[in-house]
Parts: sequence; structure tokens; C-alpha cells
Amino acid sequence: MSSLSPKERLLRVLDKKSVDRPPVICTGGMMNAAIVEVMTSTGNTLPDAHHEGGLMAALSADIHAMTGFENLGIPFCMTVEAELLGSDIDFGTLACEPKIAREIFPSVAQVEQRDIATMLKSGRVVEIIQAGYRISRQHQDSPVIGNLTGPISTAASIVDPVTFLKELRKDPANSHRVLDYVSDLLIAFGREMITNGVTLISIGDPTATGEILGPKVFNEFAVPYLNKVIDGIHAAGAPVIVHICGKIQSVKHSLPHLRANAISTDALVNLRVLKEEFPQLTTMGNVSTFMLELTEAEKVARHTAQLVKDGINIIAPACGLSTATTLTAIRAMTDTVKEQ
Amino acid sequence: MSGKKEDLLKKLADAVVDMDEKLTVATAHESLAEGLDAYEAIDGGLSRGMERAGQLFEEEEYFIPELLMCSDAMYAGLDVLKPHLKTTGEKKGTVVIGVIEGDTHDIGKNMVRIMLETGGFEVHDLGRDVPPRVFVDKAKEVNATIIGLSTLMTTTMDGMGQVVRLLQEENIRDRHKVMVGGGPISPGFAKKIGADGYAINAAEAVKVARELAGAV
Repeated sequence: MSSLSPKERLLRVLDKKSVDRPPVICTGGMMNAAIVEVMTSTGNTLPDAHHEGGLMAALSADIHAMTGFENLGIPFCMTVEAELLGSDIDFGTLACEPKIAREIFPSVAQVEQRDIATMLKSGRVVEIIQAGYRISRQHQDSPVIGNLTGPISTAASIVDPVTFLKELRKDPANSHRVLDYVSDLLIAFGREMITNGVTLISIGDPTATGEILGPKVFNEFAVPYLNKVIDGIHAAGAPVIVHICGKIQSVKHSLPHLRANAISTDALVNLRVLKEEFPQLTTMGNVSTFMLELTEAEKVARHTAQLVKDGINIIAPACGLSTATTLTAIRAMTDTVKEQ
Repeated sequence: MSGKKEDLLKKLADAVVDMDEKLTVATAHESLAEGLDAYEAIDGGLSRGMERAGQLFEEEEYFIPELLMCSDAMYAGLDVLKPHLKTTGEKKGTVVIGVIEGDTHDIGKNMVRIMLETGGFEVHDLGRDVPPRVFVDKAKEVNATIIGLSTLMTTTMDGMGQVVRLLQEENIRDRHKVMVGGGPISPGFAKKIGADGYAINAAEAVKVARELAGAV
């Protein structure tokens, strides 16, 4: 089994098959490893790499080569979908990630639906799809992860998030309509990436947390649309990872209802305990990104080794990496997993 | 009257807790019609309701959507009662609040603002993605008792220390207390950057702000 390629290893884990050791990955998207140290040493830099497919492909390959993460992942932000749907984006700087400058719609009732196929034919999304095509061809033994912003977070990027969160309760009918539309867009975008070579899809949905939504709203609005996207991606033949931010206590009983191939969690969650409680879950995580940024490599290595010992299925950072994280810290993490 | 008054105050508080904006507004009008003092209706009705909503939030019965709707109900009631205030309640202090540059998450900050306002503070909200310099300039302009800094992202935590450094550089560190909060912030971090206070959530923020205001 030592002859497993990183791609085979990750796909086997996501298919609940046995492997020699856990993969060590960093999905991209919300959880990308485009750190300053990598970019300044190669010159393939953000924010330009958010826009140009060639540069995006090159940066993802730099990260893969320098960090030891066994995958490639694109894009490097969570604003692609919101931009497609009309919101204004501030693309940030080399060290500061893009963000929504202004949400396009004042309320869920006013969200206008446009033709999804047309939206996917122009602009930045085309560059991302091409970057996926390019790195998938160039790195056939490595898994390439296409990242999507989850339905709730995308919806909260086209309607002001405070308004949106209230309208989940005040105007459930239109909230469902918007989430359904957003999910259709995510499926179409995900499938386009898969058709062009990416191995799997990872969904980060930082607004869809137990801490923000609570169990009732999470079950009514987060779970069904995450599952809709997951089913849509599965129908295209690719596995899906879902990352849940924050504390999960209030929504942990919903996690087995998510049809994702793996669930990734924040550093606050004890994955060993979660595995004991829900043995059917394939777990991913959760090396603290604070630890990666702020503590010495030796401690990162010990913490990583413990996660491997605890039987966590995929080792990954627990959240978005700070762009000030060092390669030394990241290599301590990736080397530790590979030594097992 | 006193039984009736208690009933109205309870009804106001319940309407806020039940996220019922229409009932809050109707009860606010009813309270005025019954000759209830507007300040009393705010303090004993709306604020009490919001405090209970805050408690339910701490107990994880309520989450952000519920809390936001309670605050909408409270504000709707406040709009009715405010013009009838004889004297404004005793001001506890002035707070300049905002989310530090690089972060656009402002739900937590908005909750803190609402709780501070209901807690008797005059609040100047700078919004989200605010550069450190702007906090300092605004604090000087309004002679703020407290500067409140929020962030949800580790990448922006440095900006909080920057605010404290700017105050030191201008020799006005003793004029404004600095309190910090947000997802990645810990009491240890607050201490490290030289902040005066740390609050884990919005309800706690009011307590901390009251302590800090008393100490200025």
C-alpha cells in the first residue's frame, strides 16, 4: 500500500477504504495556504493570482511544492460566487484576503435570479476553471481541490448578512428561494471545475455555524442546501468535503445527516471525541491555525502527531491560515504526517 | 395602576424576547396611553427584555438570528418611546466601536453596540474594516471614555495592538480605555497588547464597559 499516490490515498479515505497513513492537505478557498513567505519567494502573488488563471495555477503549484501539502487547491478566496451574483469585491492585498465590499441586494425578497449557464461563461470564474484544468493536467498523481463557498455564506454575501440572518426567520419563503438559487449556481460551478479535471470539491460555509445559526435554523436552512450541493457534485462523480466553522456542540447531531464524504472542523472541536460519538463520520482537521502561526515547530509536530494517533482520517489546518504563518511551521505539520 | 404598570412592563419585555416587533410597538403605544413614564418603559420593559434575550443567547437557547430580531423589536419600541423621554437616562459614558481593518464580520460588534446603547452608553459606531488611526481620531473628537475593538479574524489582530500604540505615541493612553473582543481574542491577548478590558460576549461587554467607565 506504500505505492499509493497522494490522489489515490485521499480518494480511498473519502471512499472509507483503508490507507497506509492519513493524507495531509490544505483545501484552498477559505482554508488556503497562500502565505506571504511562499509568494515573496516565487513572485507568483496575490491579489493578481485571484484574477489570472495562469498565475493562480502557478501559485497553487508553489504552495503544493513548498508546504508539503499533498493536494493543490483553488481559488484563494470566498468571493467568486458573490462576485458572479453581482456583489462588489475588494480584492485585498498580497497579505490580506479579498472581502465583500458591498452586498448587491437589500433583502432576500429582492434577489433577482439570472441565468446560471450564462454567468459561468465570463469573468474570473472562467480563469478559475482554466486554472483547475491546468493543474489537474500537470499534477496527475495529486488531488486537485476545487473550493466552493457554501450556500448560507454565499447568500449572506449577496444580501447584507445581518439582514439575511433575520430574514431566515422573518421571510423563510424568500430565504429558501435564494438558497435554492445559490445552490444551483454552486452545483453548476462545481461541476464545471470537475469536468475540467479537479478531483474533488471542498465547501466552506463559515456563516453556517452552530454558534451563529443555532440548531433549528441550521437544520432548516444549512443542512438541506449543503446536501443539495453535495448531491449535485456527487452526481458529477466527485467526492465532497464540508468544513464547519466554530463550536459544533449545538449542531453536532446534524453532522451525520450531511452527505459529505468528510467533515472538517475548527480547532475548538475534539475530533477524537467526535469520532467516538459518530463512528460513521470521516473526520478532517484540525491543526490549530493559531498554533501554526504563533508557536514553535516542535509543538506543531507534537500536536499533529497526536491527531494522527487519534485516528483522524485527514490531517489539515483547522481554519484559514494566517498569511504570516511560516513554512517551517507548516512543514513541521506535513512532515510529521508523512513520517508516520 | 401599579399592577397594570407591571403588566405592561412585562408585556413589553416579553414582546422583545418573543421577537414580536408589532406587539412591542403596540405595547409601547399602550404604555404611553396608560400614562407610563417612557424612561421606565424603556428601562423596565425593553431593556429587561433585551437582557433576557442576552441570557437566552448565553444559554444557547437563542442564536444570532433570534438576537437580531429581538433587537429589532427593541429598537421599534424605542422609536415609539424615545420622543416621550422627559430626561434621557444618566449617560454612563461614550464609546467608539468598530471592527478592525481587514475584517468585514460585524455581527458581534453590532450586538455589542446594541447592548451598550441599551446599557446607557452613547455609542459611535465606525462600522467594519476600520483602520487603527480612525479609531484614535474619532475617540479624540468625541472625547470617548472607551474604544471598543472587535475582530473575528486572526489576521487582523495586529491592528488592535496598533490602536494602543497610537494612543501611547500621542501621549493620550490614559484618556481612553481600550476594550477588545471577538472570536480569536483571548484575555491573554488583550493583556499582551495592553488593552484595559476583554469581553467574551455582548452581555459581558456591557459589564466590562461599566467597570472601565467607572475607572476613568
